This record gives sequence, structure tokens and C-alpha cells, in this order.
Amino acid sequence: MRPETPPEILLPATLGEALASLGERAAAPLAGGTWVMRAPLRREPFAPAYVGLSRIPELSLVEVTDDAIAIGAAVTHADLANALAGFPEFAGLRLAAGSSANPAVRSAATVGGNLCTADFAAADLVPALLCLDATVELAGPAGSRLIPLADFLAQRTGLLPGHILTKVVVARTGQRTAHARLPLRKAGDYPVAIVSVAMRVDAMERIGAARIAVGSVEATARRWTGLEDALLGEPLDGARTTGIAGSLLASFNGRDGVEAPGWYRVRVLPALAGRAVASLVAA
Amino acid sequence: MTIRLTVNGETREFAAAPMTPLVDVLRDGLHLTGAKPVCREGFCGACMVLVDAVPTVACLTPVALVEGRDIETVEGLTSGESPTPVQAALEEHDAVQCGMCFPGMVVALTHLTTSGTCEPNRAAVKEALVGNVCRCTGYERIVDAALAVMEAGHE
Ligand SMILES: Cc1cc2nc3c(=O)[nH]c(=O)nc-3n(C[C@H](O)[C@H](O)[C@H](O)COP(=O)(O)OP(=O)(O)OC[C@H]3O[C@@H](n4cnc5c(N)ncnc54)[C@H](O)[C@@H]3O)c2cc1C
Ligand code: FES
Ligand code: FES
Repeated sequence: MRPETPPEILLPATLGEALASLGERAAAPLAGGTWVMRAPLRREPFAPAYVGLSRIPELSLVEVTDDAIAIGAAVTHADLANALAGFPEFAGLRLAAGSSANPAVRSAATVGGNLCTADFAAADLVPALLCLDATVELAGPAGSRLIPLADFLAQRTGLLPGHILTKVVVARTGQRTAHARLPLRKAGDYPVAIVSVAMRVDAMERIGAARIAVGSVEATARRWTGLEDALLGEPLDGARTTGIAGSLLASFNGRDGVEAPGWYRVRVLPALAGRAVASLVAA
Repeated sequence: MTIRLTVNGETREFAAAPMTPLVDVLRDGLHLTGAKPVCREGFCGACMVLVDAVPTVACLTPVALVEGRDIETVEGLTSGESPTPVQAALEEHDAVQCGMCFPGMVVALTHLTTSGTCEPNRAAVKEALVGNVCRCTGYERIVDAALAVMEAGHE
């Protein structure tokens, strides 16, 4: 399925030029290309042209301050995992970035590409950032604005044309975080289901506040608020969490896919929630 | 468009459509047929090359994105005359069967045994080889060979 005229790739050096090119040519951004290059396998056409993001320096920065961490959209999974090495509070996000896909894909695939691919349900960074209550910055012809990640996910197909996601911002609040994913092989393939958690734990090791996100089960990752509420005041106990989570599955409608049927994705969630919480104990 | 790359130390300039996967440019344009397009999905690693010393799946790399970069293929990492430490260890451990995966495997193993990024233990080596699928060998001898090279390097 090669198109008649193969798409051009522009490689602007500034965000302004990149946005101008998107407007002029009905072009799409191209980051690591690990999703875009598989368009022929999905029987999808390429865009008429692509605007590469790799030469725009600010998009490849990770900036850490006392209050927040800002991750450029063109930062690769591998670079993100490295950048988070000294920050135990981001253990969950680090595991998501450092264990998705395989090493060669991780050194090409970017944070922006992971968040902007609306058709990709199994994205690891999406639930990992959702439980951190991340905010994304979206740049367009009218300037830049900050959008909570949950809102961005709900509206991204409408928001993205002509725009570039420039960075993701996460507040540093000292909570404990974890990311539990289930690929069917030990590694290398897409996770069947993902549970990412961020929790504040009191002096008695009881759960004081929890944000829990579920990925790969439905078309788009989302928070598991029923479990968040049910775990308040509970001890950090994996088995207990699994038990509580088992009765809170009614709201999930799992998607059927080649690797697993929908019911299976839902059925494994309590065990993944238990694993995620158990890994906070050691933290 | 005209693309300029350094391939195995030599500067090469040629015309290619910008979205052409690097693996096709190497094979069809430069006749370097070591890297193989097997899955074209980034899963199998048979197309693996080094781009600025980083293992890269050449099937998912649009050639325009590596303009001006340094590409090393299995042909550049090895020589016709004497086997490299990785090749010698693979032979010694009787690790090679059909050979489909091996050009990519040698690229991955060369990187993991020389870059200092991989701990010399089985779990770490297996983790580093997650993107190199072998349908024949069951991996254990490949892991043995990798560990032998790493241990020899530490002596
Ligand atoms: C073998 C393999 C295994 C994988 N396993 C996993 C896995 O386990 N977990 C996981 O999460 N992912 C996995 N992936 C998917 C991979 O992470 C995605 O393909 C990747 O995140 C996309 O990023 P990219 O930079 O390559 O995006 P690209 O392919 O460059 O772009 C993807 C889409 O996002 C748009 N886009 C990119 N950047 C921006 C931006 N800054 N602003 C606006 N739009 C943008 C593009 O226009 C395009 O529509 C796997 C991929 C492969 C090939
Ligand atoms: S052909 Fe590139 S990873 Fe399989
Ligand atoms: S030896 Fe046959 S695929 Fe690896």
C-alpha cells in the first residue's frame, strides 16, 4: 500500500516553524516513527507530509525542579527511564518507560507519540501519567495551553490536528508509585492490562489518598475511582487489595483483541492491583 | 531527496524517498543484506543496526530521520577474515541454527557486551535481548555465549 507520492518529511529547527508547516500542508507530526511506520501493516494511509520533531531542542528535555518535572514530548522512553533513575517517587513511571516494548523501540519511541496515538489502547505511559495527575502542554496556531491529561485523552482526536504536544508536567508530591503490567510473554509484546498507582501513605502504613489508573483494558486508559475510594484507610497489603478489587469490576467493559478477549483483561485487574500495591510496601 | 549517511565508516550519498525504511535503503540501495526485514513491526530485531552506537530497528526508521548519522551494520561490525569475540563465542557455544535472527543478534550482542549497559547475568542478558526473536535455538546458548564474552572482557 505505498501511496502515489511518498510523503515528504520536514525537519524544522523551531516549534514555530513546525506549527507553520503543520498548518500549510495538512501534515502530521513525526516523532520516533514507531507507530507511523507501521501504518501500512494497519492498512492505513500515510499523512500527505510529516513534520519531524527531532531537531527542536526544547522537545527533548527533561527538567526537574523541587516542585515538578517537565518531560519534553520528543523524549524517548529510554531517556525518560534514565532521567528518572534518581527519583524513587517516580518508580511507576520509570518502570513504564523502561519496560515497555523492547530496548531498540524504547530508544526511538517518544512520550508524545505514546500519548497522542488515540488508536493505541495498550500504551504504558498513559496510565502511568494518569495516576500522577499529569498535565500536557499543547501548542497550536493560537499559542500554548495546559490541559489535564484526562481531558486531553477524552478529546485528543479533536484537539490534535494542527497542534503539537510539547511537554508533560507532573507535580512532585512525594507519593509512592507503581506500575503493574501483564504482557503474555515475559516481555516484548503489548501488555494485556495495566494498573498504575500513586498513593500517599500515612505513618501507620495505611493508604491516605490513592489515584489508580487502568490501561489496555478499554480503548482509552482511565482512573479506577471505585477502587481508589475503597482503599482509603486500608493497609498496604497486596492480597487484601486483590480481594477488595475483585468486587469492583462491574464498570469495566474489556476490549476484545488478538492477544486476549475482553473478559480476560478485566479478570486480571485485581491481581495487577494487588501486585502494584504490594510493590509499594517495599518502597 | 538526497540523503547522506555514514555507513560502516564510509560516507554515502544517495537519493531515496524520505519515509523509506532504513533497512530497505541498506539492502536495496547499498547492497548490505545482513539486516533483514522479517516482521517490519519492531518485534523481531532481524533488521537491527547501530545508529550513533544505539541498537535501532531499521524497519521502523524512516531514512530521513537518520540523515547525517553514523550507521553500523553487521557487515561493519564483523570482518570476513577473523571472527569477532561475539562471533567466536556463538560458534564455540554452538548457538547458531538457521541464522535468520543472527545478523540482528550479533548487532545486539556486540552492543550489550561492549557498552557497559548490561549486567553480566542471565536475567539482564535476556532482558536486553527481548527485541531479538529467535525461532530456533531457545536462547540459552546465545545467553551462554554473551556471558562468556562479558566474562572474558572482565579478565
Ligand atoms: C515492537 C513494539 C512493541 C511495543 N510495545 C509497547 C508497549 O509495551 N507499551 C507501549 O506503551 N508502547 C509499545 N509500543 C508502541 C510504541 O510505544 C508507540 O509506537 C510509540 O509510543 C509511539 O511513539 P513514536 O514517538 O514512535 O510516535 P510516532 O510513530 O512518531 O507518532 C505516533 C502518532 O503520534 C503523533 N505524534 C507524535 N508526537 C506528537 C506530538 N509531540 N504532538 C502531537 N502528535 C504527535 C503522530 O502524528 C502519530 O499520529 C510498541 C511498539 C513496537 C514497535
Ligand atoms: S524486521 Fe525490524 S524488528 Fe522485525
Ligand atoms: S537461529 Fe533460526 S531464528 Fe535464530
